[in-house]
Amino acid sequence: MEKNVFSRIPMRTWRWLGVNEARAPENIDSEIKNKQILVDRETEENLVLTHREAGSYEVQIHLEAGARLNLVLAQLTPSDAAYTCRVRAHVADGAEFSYTVVEAGAHETVTELYVDLAGKEAKADVWGLYLGDGDSRIDMNYIIRQEGRLTDANMQVRGALLGESQKVFRGTLDFLEGSTGSVGRENEEVMLLSPKVRNRSVPIMLSHEADVDGHHAVSVGKMDENKLFYLMSRGLDLAEAQRLVVEASFRPVIDRIGDEALRDEIDTFLMRRLANG
Amino acid sequence: MAEEFVPKKKTYVEDIERTLYDIRDEDRSVYKSHSGLTEDIIRDISKRKNDPEWMTEFRLKSLETYNNMPLPTWGPDLSELNMDEIVTYVQPDAKMTGNWQEVPEDIKNTFDRLGIPEAEQKQSLAGVGAQYDSEVVYHSIQEDLVKQGVIYTDMETALWEHGDIVKEYFMTLVPPKDHKFTALHGAVWSGGSFVYVPEGVHVEIPLQSYFRLNAAGAGQFEHTLIIVEKGASLHFIEGCSAPKYNVTNLHAGCVELFVKEGARLRYSTIENWSRNMMNLNTKRAIVEKDGIIEWVSGSFGSHVSCLYPCSILHGENARCEFTGVTFASKGQNLDTGASVIHAAPHTSANINTRTISKAGGAATYRSAVKVTRNAPFAKCSVNCESLMLDSESRSDTLPVMDIEGDEADIGHEAKIGRISDEAIFYLTSRGIDEEEARAMIVRGFVEPIAKELPLEYAVEMNNLVNIELEGTMG
Repeated sequence: MEKNVFSRIPMRTWRWLGVNEARAPENIDSEIKNKQILVDRETEENLVLTHREAGSYEVQIHLEAGARLNLVLAQLTPSDAAYTCRVRAHVADGAEFSYTVVEAGAHETVTELYVDLAGKEAKADVWGLYLGDGDSRIDMNYIIRQEGRLTDANMQVRGALLGESQKVFRGTLDFLEGSTGSVGRENEEVMLLSPKVRNRSVPIMLSHEADVDGHHAVSVGKMDENKLFYLMSRGLDLAEAQRLVVEASFRPVIDRIGDEALRDEIDTFLMRRLANG
Repeated sequence: MAEEFVPKKKTYVEDIERTLYDIRDEDRSVYKSHSGLTEDIIRDISKRKNDPEWMTEFRLKSLETYNNMPLPTWGPDLSELNMDEIVTYVQPDAKMTGNWQEVPEDIKNTFDRLGIPEAEQKQSLAGVGAQYDSEVVYHSIQEDLVKQGVIYTDMETALWEHGDIVKEYFMTLVPPKDHKFTALHGAVWSGGSFVYVPEGVHVEIPLQSYFRLNAAGAGQFEHTLIIVEKGASLHFIEGCSAPKYNVTNLHAGCVELFVKEGARLRYSTIENWSRNMMNLNTKRAIVEKDGIIEWVSGSFGSHVSCLYPCSILHGENARCEFTGVTFASKGQNLDTGASVIHAAPHTSANINTRTISKAGGAATYRSAVKVTRNAPFAKCSVNCESLMLDSESRSDTLPVMDIEGDEADIGHEAKIGRISDEAIFYLTSRGIDEEEARAMIVRGFVEPIAKELPLEYAVEMNNLVNIELEGTMG
């Protein structure tokens, strides 16, 4: 792979858009902090990973048949940190990978999620949240490969951009030949909160199988003015109203985090950044 | 016990009928350049075309650009294309004329079969252009439009009779440096149409140019340049076809559209090249304040296609509507889509596409929506839907949205799927038999596009969706 290229989209497009590759930050600590997770057949695990330090992380996951993993990954690194994280999951027959990820820290964030729904009725339920502020850069490449029959992929991502932040989100649903009867949904909602932000969204859907049902949707825009007007008519000032609207958008992701202390910490972390942004 | 998996039955959709397009004429060209690309060949083409000096220089500079540019690193595989084997200039045994009777018999018969003069006689077209291989053999325009100052002629005539305008606009919107095949086009272009609609003139009936490539192993590189002045309007139709050969043919045309303040241009294309054609075409429009560009694009033919009409919304309130349908069958890799650049405030775009792939065909929807910082309050809505009729085929969507600033409203939606059992159940419960229900749903799938096509092409597309129905789609 070309120098510094951390991740690629499965199918290339025009170079001028600058979305074909995600590059690792130049000042990244390249020593990889590796974690391996194996969930045995017909068992369930709940796991929380909190990344508070800059650096390169890698998580390898193997779900055996009928296994279930609820993984929460919160990236709460300092605002000057350089951070990369690669998560790879192999999901066997009837197994379910439930993943909630919060990308809220770091000056530069580059992540890859690669899920292989290899088995029949394998399932991935991915909920992501990102917040860009200051001059932060966020670059994400999520790929769900649907290989088995009757697989089910759901990718829901919410984000907000403040200050002069820039972000790229690439989300791919790849229906391979033989993934008969599979379904896939992908949705990204982005709120643009400053005139200096830049948002790039790349929702990719690849299909080599006719009997599938795939949808993707992206919505990018300013905050809903009607919502703001309503909240302000109830006595909130503009900043408070904006915070409330962003919080409401993030809520479906945050509510998936079972650990109350972490949920509160993320809430506080996000709200502080929103207030400063 | 695990439920037994029963694969769904497939609906059979017929291929497009190609007999009409595949009739070959005997190759009676009076001159063919050597195959390949050299400075001598370019100078020779330029001399034969009696180019002004600036154009000869332009061609040579484009050749240099071509030689220094790599092939695109994305999109369909182009390795089958060997430029050393492509004849870039084929001069037919016919001179450009405004009188249909003067067109040589075999060429006339070809266009007669395609219904081109018939439409003109029925006055459903206000002007017709017909290109055969590298040269335009016929051009006509209604007298009343000429009186209003409308110019519709072949590019070679325009180069001499309206040289100042051509020089001002030619390959300024699509510069040769854009990519390897625009550089190639700049070097070897020949034929094509020039349209100039003066301020405030509304061309009520469409103009149509038809491009036919008859020679085996040849390339067609027509250039279309349209300028619609302030407050004017035009509907331009472009058709193209070729008979099938067992060697590769190449089409690398270029379309440049200038839509001035408050003007409106509808550009409809039905591309039905033969299945040995590499169709690497570039189309771009720049739209000024309150102007409107409407693209209607049907891609049915060719072996490989790369076609992504681009709209630059340059003036405030400029608007783009893009409607496209792509049908990829056996041996076809059709990579189509659109791009829109919002470069001024309050610009808006609406992109709506449908793709069908079958029998091992590959259809890719590729798009780019770019909102610059100069374009607050931009709005763009993209909708693309794909039907795959079997699992030998491929259907991919690859859209990119790049938005700078916070005053934009961008929505994108895409679907890949099959006909739902619920829809069939509903229709059959209303007394419609199952086969007809399926046909209705497939026709409904392409209907938003078909209704935008010129009538004769809509009929052709309905024939395309001629279905022998059994079981579910998908």
